[in-house]
Amino acid sequence: MRIGFTLDGRDVAVDVEPRRTLADVLRDDLGQTGVHLGCEHGVCGTCTVLVDGEPVRACLQLTAQVARRHVRTVAGLEGPDGALDPLQEAFSTERGLQCGFCTPGFLMLLRGALDEDPTVVDDPARLDALLASNLCRCTGYEGIRNAARRARDS
Amino acid sequence: MTLARVEDRRLVTGRGRFVADLVEPGCLEAAFVRPRVAHADLAGLDVTVARSMPGVHAVLTADDLGGVDDVPALFGGDDLPPWRPLVVDRVRHAGEPVACVVADDRHRAEDAAGAVVPDLRELPGRPDAATALAADAPLYDGHRDVVLDQELGEPVAEATWADAAVVVETDLRQQLLAPTSLEARAILVRPEPGGLTVWCSHQYPHALRDGLAAALGLDTGAVRVVVPDVGGAFGGKSPTFPEYVVVAVAAQRLRRPVRWVEDRTEALWAATRGRGQAQRLRMAADAEGRITAIDLHVDAAIGAHPVGAGIPVQTGLAASGAYAVPEVHARIRAVLTTTAPTFAYRGAGRPEAAYAVERGVDLLARRLGLDAVELRRRNLVRDFPHDTPTGRRYDSGDYAAALDRALELLEPDTWRAEQARRRDEGGRPLGVGVACYVERSGGEPGILEEYAVVEARGDGGFVAGVGTSSTGQSHETVFPALVAGVLGVAPDRVRLVEGDTAAVPEGHGSFASRSLQMGGAALHGAAGALVVAARERAAADWGVDVAHVGWDGGTLRSGERETSVAALAPLCAEHRFSSPPAFPYGVYGAVVEIDPELGSVDVLRLVAVDDYGTVVDHGVVHGQTLGSLTQGLGQALYEDVPLDADGVPRLEQGLLDYLLPTAAEIPPLRLDETAVPAPDNPLGAKGAGEAGCIGVPPAVVNAVADALDGVPGADPSLLAMPLTPATVWNALWGGAR
Ligand code: FES
Ligand code: FES
Repeated sequence: MRIGFTLDGRDVAVDVEPRRTLADVLRDDLGQTGVHLGCEHGVCGTCTVLVDGEPVRACLQLTAQVARRHVRTVAGLEGPDGALDPLQEAFSTERGLQCGFCTPGFLMLLRGALDEDPTVVDDPARLDALLASNLCRCTGYEGIRNAARRARDS
Repeated sequence: MTLARVEDRRLVTGRGRFVADLVEPGCLEAAFVRPRVAHADLAGLDVTVARSMPGVHAVLTADDLGGVDDVPALFGGDDLPPWRPLVVDRVRHAGEPVACVVADDRHRAEDAAGAVVPDLRELPGRPDAATALAADAPLYDGHRDVVLDQELGEPVAEATWADAAVVVETDLRQQLLAPTSLEARAILVRPEPGGLTVWCSHQYPHALRDGLAAALGLDTGAVRVVVPDVGGAFGGKSPTFPEYVVVAVAAQRLRRPVRWVEDRTEALWAATRGRGQAQRLRMAADAEGRITAIDLHVDAAIGAHPVGAGIPVQTGLAASGAYAVPEVHARIRAVLTTTAPTFAYRGAGRPEAAYAVERGVDLLARRLGLDAVELRRRNLVRDFPHDTPTGRRYDSGDYAAALDRALELLEPDTWRAEQARRRDEGGRPLGVGVACYVERSGGEPGILEEYAVVEARGDGGFVAGVGTSSTGQSHETVFPALVAGVLGVAPDRVRLVEGDTAAVPEGHGSFASRSLQMGGAALHGAAGALVVAARERAAADWGVDVAHVGWDGGTLRSGERETSVAALAPLCAEHRFSSPPAFPYGVYGAVVEIDPELGSVDVLRLVAVDDYGTVVDHGVVHGQTLGSLTQGLGQALYEDVPLDADGVPRLEQGLLDYLLPTAAEIPPLRLDETAVPAPDNPLGAKGAGEAGCIGVPPAVVNAVADALDGVPGADPSLLAMPLTPATVWNALWGGAR
């Protein structure tokens, strides 16, 4: 089946088997290897992308579900001039990553959440509840938490 | 000092390159057929349908691997059973691969894998060491089930037990853990004329090179292993896995690149586990609270292939803990079980020892009516070097200072007052626990050496090569800065080459917290050697004594003469560093509160004071502490690979069944470090990767046991990790309800 959607601001159309997930199509057909796969069953959040601004797990979406919608990946966080999104800067400054495998998922989770309501990072309990939707096995989350706060302030 | 991370730009923009991301023209994808039985005869294997399915290029079975050697053993015991890359006639752990499908893409490979029909005749399994020891036939005909039986130290004299004021004895369990790096295992093999290029998510590329070459009958020089970005490892990515051998064979036979990216389900079923010990601990103390003897018996469930049989020996070596104890003895047995191989997981043998000893110290304190902290203080090692009865030489430290600092952060008196108040007036049970640890970093004989080379280039830059291999520990940031510091140049003039056996001829990878201590020291030596070589070259060119040639940030001078080192390029210097291991140490503390209705444990405060010797980059070290203590919390409270009666993991819902700590599980932390330099390397550094995995579990469990102590009818001996609500609730009510 042929599915059209926008990917990081440009129109794309793909021919896909109905069973293929958004994550697989983004990675294999559209070369968006910044979308990582840590579990492929909806638990780890490494595959998180924004669909119409909302964080979703790309491994749990069929590609057909994003027809005519706006998909944003980590590759779309940089400005056209290559300037980093404040979140990307903050993750580096705050040591919010070690191996970096979980990073694209956390970046998209937080980009979506901050766009929706930047005050989410002000209350530690709300922030932890948000971050608890994704897994990181390296950092112990402190740097990720601090990066979220720093990005809100910048 | 905390440097900006060089590796971050690509990782925060999605331009990191993990094995799954590599673009290799014509690359095929592999999937393995993994029966979900723990133990069964493989009476037949029907691959005819699978072979005819669309997009399938090959279905390999054991019959196709006649010329391929056994999977290389990392552990050099004698009488080891053979490890064939694919099951020949008996499945010995759930998920053990019986066939490999290679197809155009992973979907087609998995479709065909599902069409392979194994004829399995199930046999009784042996999920743990006790069951295995009681089995009436060996797991491998003609081979012993006990693949290792080693004693460390002299047996404790009977008189010591008889003369002791108190003797405590307890059985302890170390559950099986799944290392669960978020990127699971992955390999891509491209056949080359006469050899292979291999990209692999790996901790020890030179061993993988050697292992694949041996299995395939190739010269080591014909195999190049490249390690791209790696999404965590934690000990689970050092071996030459059978899947890697099979993928390499497939690439050779098909003359096409072949990739295997393990999915999470496979990793939870079939990848290596950590821990997995049944322990019996006996400890004695005199009336003054001096520990007089420790005896630790470990039966390690080593899985169906004893690749990790050397790991539990670490537990025996560490059986003295942080204490000066005159008699310490350990007996370590590694027993074959019908479970996936037990191998290194962050801490690898040391968390198991620290847990036993620190639980034992608390039991002794209770029996003596002494404060557990005071008991620890009376027994800490104070003079260095210190030789333990089980064969360790602790190098340096001020253990008592770490304990003092930890107590300042923990504030036990405040919590004890609150505890007493609650015991009088009612309130949730509250407990305080402390644990000391000493661990070993750098590795064991055979890997207590590392290679580095530093080259001056004609363009004014430097290339530093080292045999370690980063899996997320900031090597690209720290190592160039370290070399630049020796050379007196800006860090951005130094580029690191690592994780490529073609670029760095030898090395021992990254595990055992060895990268900075061994690799950093090697780079330090190589950079110094380059300065010497440059001065010698300039002296020869100028016909002056080398003593009169100075080095200043890449510029050589003698009197009026001056040249840049770039003008002398190519110029390079190697260094092989070797040293005894180092012994990081620390003290952890926890305050917990228990919900008596749910049995849930709330950690109110977690304290860690670690000593990693001299710290080079504080941000990296702090990150290692945070990461390892989070994994330690996982072991203490959440993580477990539950098994059925035969050894099949009960993880049907994948990561929903294997609970990893999230951001919401991190308690309030108070962390600090002390820094007594390591005497045996020029950086003074000790490894920093594993501390939290070692210190957190005993601190938390001791705190929970302490909380239970004040509850009438509660039975702390029923506590076992992970401290799930059900376990704690049961202990709280004395097993009576
Ligand atoms: S890969 Fe999608 S949630 Fe884990
Ligand atoms: S940085 Fe490695 S999983 Fe998060």
